[in-house]
Amino acid sequence: MERVRVLLNRVASLCRGKNLDEELDEELRAHIELATIENVRRGMKADEARTAALRSFGGVTQVRESYRKQRGLPWLGQIVRDARFAARQLRKSLGFTLTAVLTLALGIGATTSVFSVIHAVLLRPFAFREPDRLVMVREVQNAENSRAEIAPFNYRHFLRLKKTAKTLEDIAIFQNRAYSVSPDGEHPHMVGGLESSPNLLPMLGIQPILGRGFTESDAAQGAQPVTLLSYNAWQAIFGGNANVVGQMLRLGGEPVTVIGVLPEGLRFPQLALAPKIEFAPSAATREVQVYRPMVPRPEMLTEDNGMFNYKVMARLKDGVTPAQSASELETLQRSYTASAKLQIPIGAVVTPLAKDAAQGISGALWLLLAAVGAVLLIACVNLANLQLARAVNAEHETALRAALGASKMQLIMARLTESMLLALAGGVAGGALAVGGVRLLIALAPANLPRLDEVRVSLPVLAFAAAISMLAAIVFGLLPALRSLGVDPQAALRANMARTSDSLEALRTRNVMVGSQVACTIVLLIVTALVLRSFSRLLHEERGFDTSHVTYLQVAMLAPKYDDSKPGYKAAKLNFVDRTMVALRALPGVQSVALTSAVPLTGETWVDLLTRPDHPVPDAEKPMVNVRWINPDYLATMQMRLELGRDFTESDRANPFVALISERTAREGFGGENPIGHAMSNIVPDGEHAVTIVGVVADTRINGLKDNAAMVYVPYWTYVPWTISLMVRSAQPGTGLMAEMRRAVWAIDPEVTVQAVKSLDAQLNDSIATERFQAIVLGGFGLAALLLALLGVYGVLAYSVSLRHREFGIRIALGSGKGKLFELVLKQAAVPVLMGVGVGLAVALVAIRWVRSLLYQTPVLDPVAIGGSVLLLLAAATVAAIVPARRAALVDPMRSLRTE
Amino acid sequence: MSENKSDVLQGTLDLMVLKTLESMGTLHGYGIARRIEQVSGDTLSLNQGTIYPALLRLEQRGWIKSEWGVSETNRRAKFYAMTRAGHKQLVRETENWERMAATMARLLSVTSGSSN
Repeated sequence: MERVRVLLNRVASLCRGKNLDEELDEELRAHIELATIENVRRGMKADEARTAALRSFGGVTQVRESYRKQRGLPWLGQIVRDARFAARQLRKSLGFTLTAVLTLALGIGATTSVFSVIHAVLLRPFAFREPDRLVMVREVQNAENSRAEIAPFNYRHFLRLKKTAKTLEDIAIFQNRAYSVSPDGEHPHMVGGLESSPNLLPMLGIQPILGRGFTESDAAQGAQPVTLLSYNAWQAIFGGNANVVGQMLRLGGEPVTVIGVLPEGLRFPQLALAPKIEFAPSAATREVQVYRPMVPRPEMLTEDNGMFNYKVMARLKDGVTPAQSASELETLQRSYTASAKLQIPIGAVVTPLAKDAAQGISGALWLLLAAVGAVLLIACVNLANLQLARAVNAEHETALRAALGASKMQLIMARLTESMLLALAGGVAGGALAVGGVRLLIALAPANLPRLDEVRVSLPVLAFAAAISMLAAIVFGLLPALRSLGVDPQAALRANMARTSDSLEALRTRNVMVGSQVACTIVLLIVTALVLRSFSRLLHEERGFDTSHVTYLQVAMLAPKYDDSKPGYKAAKLNFVDRTMVALRALPGVQSVALTSAVPLTGETWVDLLTRPDHPVPDAEKPMVNVRWINPDYLATMQMRLELGRDFTESDRANPFVALISERTAREGFGGENPIGHAMSNIVPDGEHAVTIVGVVADTRINGLKDNAAMVYVPYWTYVPWTISLMVRSAQPGTGLMAEMRRAVWAIDPEVTVQAVKSLDAQLNDSIATERFQAIVLGGFGLAALLLALLGVYGVLAYSVSLRHREFGIRIALGSGKGKLFELVLKQAAVPVLMGVGVGLAVALVAIRWVRSLLYQTPVLDPVAIGGSVLLLLAAATVAAIVPARRAALVDPMRSLRTE
Repeated sequence: MSENKSDVLQGTLDLMVLKTLESMGTLHGYGIARRIEQVSGDTLSLNQGTIYPALLRLEQRGWIKSEWGVSETNRRAKFYAMTRAGHKQLVRETENWERMAATMARLLSVTSGSSN
């Protein structure tokens, strides 16, 4: 209690400093007077009395000093004094100060920007109730002849788990949909939607701010169609009208009642159906704006062996771990396989929600943070070297302080204060730069980066920036500060400041610092080189198709006339497609028009089991194929190669049950035999007809650049899906005809939605956006590190050459050739650089194991990457060393020997 | 043997000031210093000025309080007096001191005894 009183007293007197000084002086004056008067009374003379009084008082200045020490917060005063002094020193060497602050600002700004992304995407928990208990559940298909595949969920299996799982508090099923919204008088546009079991939003802890949530009755057969709007949808479609509950909205052509509005900050995370199935929604449908209850169709309730189409999220019971739940679900699935005699054995996997949402990107992001951290470290070492040089010049002042009685702590603080001021300025500037840096990263980032719209410079991010500023200050300030402790006052105060030699210790310190910079740079360069080579390989893989000069449109026939409840809907769809393709072909410059049922480069979809009536095989052994509905011009438009047999032609319209397969399908489904003439069933949705193979197409990477897929192509006359992709090849580059294409489509039927119009080149770029982002940013960091290391080698070498000026003069005067001096300096540079390369290689060999998962078909010990990085660094170091070496060789002995 | 003017430790100075104020009531800084000198009979080497940081310390801890007044010579001076907490502290510190002194005395007599 006492301590608190004393502390409060001390803080209070900080403000009243001047007053208290005056009071003390008056008190002391009174003391001396009283003593003098008493002395006089004893018989001394006036001035004698006063002198005696002063003598018995003791040192007035000392009393004032210890009084002040007792009174205020003396260490605070010391800090302020140190700061003022450091600021003055920094202002004197403006060049150094600006360089240091700029280097720090860039380093801290870059690190903070990357951390902002990491914080929003990986670290910040979702805004749901107890988000760490939420998990994604997926099925596992254990086909006999192939690896276990993680698959989306089947509805019946979901119902079973819902009833029997004991480790789950709640479980919900959902799928992402795109709906066309038709506001009056305008063409319909697409919005992203979510269809779910009614308990999904309550499970997440989300309550509507207007109206009510879904109930079980909303999900029953024949229930009135209802919808919940996201906050943004409410604003955009209804203008934020408070009476929106009960109003109607046309979704997909049918009228739907709005029953509520959801809270403003709700962002439903993007979750993949399964790891292999990429989720790449278009920009318009990425954000979930419309929520609907999932009303199961009859076949969903009976189908046990197929229709693995849905996503399942669950909440673990309190205290249950994902692993415990996974083993329970796995057991339940296995017992169901046996009891229901499923054709393919099933299992289950459980992944925490946060981890699942960040899958695929977390490795890349942490790598970026490590890279930018390495750059910051290299920058700090540069600054430390500079500070060391300055500390040598400041030895005089340090020695003076030591001689005047400064304690060790005070000496260190005096030196460290300068570094802290620099770090403070650098940190503030870096924080400001980070705002721009974050924007740059968002622009470069792949559009499907989860939670991209939540990335900003927030409070935790600023705290992080402050923390690394402090760390930076300590890293580059500590060495010179510690050095100041070893200063011998006598030696330093001597007037002659000529330094003819360099202490061995100082040389060693500098070499270690340069060596560590080189090591960091080598590691970063090697990782960057590997990533770049991997990216380049991905781009140059044999693709099997050509994307240039092709524009694609995604058209959705979601108007009422195409609804499967209307008679003749099939004919209507076919009619629309035929007329549209004719219209598109008629546009100027168009060479051919292709039709396919899935957007290229968006992953696998329409996956079925290859069933051969002539070669029956248990389901577990059937290969999985991707089915696409195409037109005869498809192969020509995409410039895919036909290996065997023939392409489709118009004459197949009369007898359309034919098919083309890809080489991989031929290999997996037909072994060595010629597949032409064989039949496949279970392909056409009507379930009646089998298709006969008429041709084999070369393997392409049409679903994604990383892998070729097993494809089956069937003519569109057998089945027209509601969403189609039309690809238009024209003489002009991809973007020329977009407006005309839209108009052509709407001229035929204004009620269809045109979801996307994009050049296929752009689509290709988007599909590898993550890899490209990584390559660009890492490349930038690698370059920055190289430049900084270059500066470091140059700076240190230049400094030591300047120290040895006299020595070189002497050598030249004694007859040493210029070439010899050049060699001497280069050799001096070689020692730390080569050591750094050695250490760096050793560290890199360990570190690159972590990078393996991010690389595409590139071995981690890629000789080109490693060798190239080492050569690049050595070349850069040589360039950096040449200038000081030349300066050493060009020393004029007359001048250097005369300089004191 | 010449007089050994022992240096006065911080804590003991506080104790002396408190005792002085208890017996003398309200005093100014000079008065306290003079009184301590008189009572110790010149065995203490005390620079009178060292009283002032001690007085501040005691005031910070709440054991004495101060007030500006007029001295007997009609001069403005700061006067100090004990507080209730100060009285309690004095009792506590006196006990401590006496206990310490007794322990030391016992320790020292044992040593001199065994050296015989």
